[in-house]
Amino acid sequence: MKHSIKRGRPAASRGAGGGAVVMAALSLPGVWLAPAHAETAPEKGVIAFKYLHYEDSQPGFDRIRVNSPSLYLMTPIGSQWSIEGSAVIDSVSGATPRWQTAVSSASVMHEERKAADIKVTRYFNRSSYSLGVSTSHEHDYVSNALSLGGSWSSDDNNTTWNVGIGGSADQINPTDGGVPNVSGKTKQTGELIAGVTQALSSNDLVQVNLTYGAGHGYYDDPYKLLDTRPDRREQAALLGRWNHYLVGDQSTLRATYRFYRDSYGITAHTVQGEWAKPVSETLILTPAIRLYTQSAANFYATALNDENGRPVLPDPPPGQLNSGDQRLSAFGAVGLSLKAEYRLSALWTVDAKFEAYEQRANWRVGGAGSTGLDPFRARAVQLGASRKF
Amino acid sequence: MKKAISAACVLVLAGCSSLTPPQAWEKGNLAKPGMTMGSDTLDERFVQHIYSSKENASGGYGVGGGGCGCN
Repeated sequence: MKHSIKRGRPAASRGAGGGAVVMAALSLPGVWLAPAHAETAPEKGVIAFKYLHYEDSQPGFDRIRVNSPSLYLMTPIGSQWSIEGSAVIDSVSGATPRWQTAVSSASVMHEERKAADIKVTRYFNRSSYSLGVSTSHEHDYVSNALSLGGSWSSDDNNTTWNVGIGGSADQINPTDGGVPNVSGKTKQTGELIAGVTQALSSNDLVQVNLTYGAGHGYYDDPYKLLDTRPDRREQAALLGRWNHYLVGDQSTLRATYRFYRDSYGITAHTVQGEWAKPVSETLILTPAIRLYTQSAANFYATALNDENGRPVLPDPPPGQLNSGDQRLSAFGAVGLSLKAEYRLSALWTVDAKFEAYEQRANWRVGGAGSTGLDPFRARAVQLGASRKF
Repeated sequence: MKKAISAACVLVLAGCSSLTPPQAWEKGNLAKPGMTMGSDTLDERFVQHIYSSKENASGGYGVGGGGCGCN
């Protein structure tokens, strides 16, 4: 992994040495996803390619850039089985502050993450069962996960219940620039999901999912200064989704709300609305808006600056919980996106999606945002193509 | 921000029709591609990965995704 150090404004920081990717152990989207409605074996397979270009920044400082090609394949096997899988390569480069949004502590890096997953599903008359495995490899982080799921539908197929269980085992070995003498760290997590999907009317579909996760192991970010987190974490989320078909213009309104709470003391709310509007026989445009707000972790260190505006680091006793990670601060965020899907033929579809996103502390809802942080901005473009077979 | 959330809720609730569970022959619109939740798998994964990398909240959609040292 190539890296070099870029220095900006001077800061009263300590411990800034060689650079490396700033890292936080995160959970990837689930392989076993709650089914949309009554599960039946698919009649057609699909192969899809999608390319993501992502950039983020704070005022006056470009941060991370990611280029990700990805591939997805789903095929029925007979009338009772299906198999699906995906693969992605994330090429990551750029810099992230080691403390709060202090630019002077940042370093430039390059990293590559390769990930793949496979899921097999067996279908019965009104039920299905699936088994999935996934793996993710980076220079300093390896994760392997397993999931099992089941879905069951009512006699009229208007109601589908789903349950899933998953677990992952992670290995963390920080490279240059991480906290000294940290290697061979591990983390294990388990997750549960239970939900129901209901056809409310001939034009309304709703889904409610409850997920719970618990883990123990190494949660610190070894590339951030003074980052000491609990070695256990519990997370819960309640998600509600509603799709409504507008008969008049044949468009679809899609709404999502998610409530989240975890053992860090963070509470978060997410609201999203989309309108999938066919503008011709072959073109669908989908504008969307996403609103997000979160409180700060109970061990988040509020940013402090000296009389010259330079960050002042706290001096916590060894082992005391502490973090200056912007992602654990209190803030609100707004995301706007526009997706275009064009049907080239009965088999081929191409799509493009543009998204703009910004976080600001004073956009937090339900309390004060964390002070002393620069706004965070991100832009993303996705280009894709898919073919049924 | 509060006004934006209220406006979003109003938009979502607009156009509500009477809620009677459909008979088997009334499910044509439910089967339209736009009505499928999370129909574009790669898009869903990209956006959820981005959000969970830049925010603290995650989950609600599925299990078994594993972890990453993502920034």
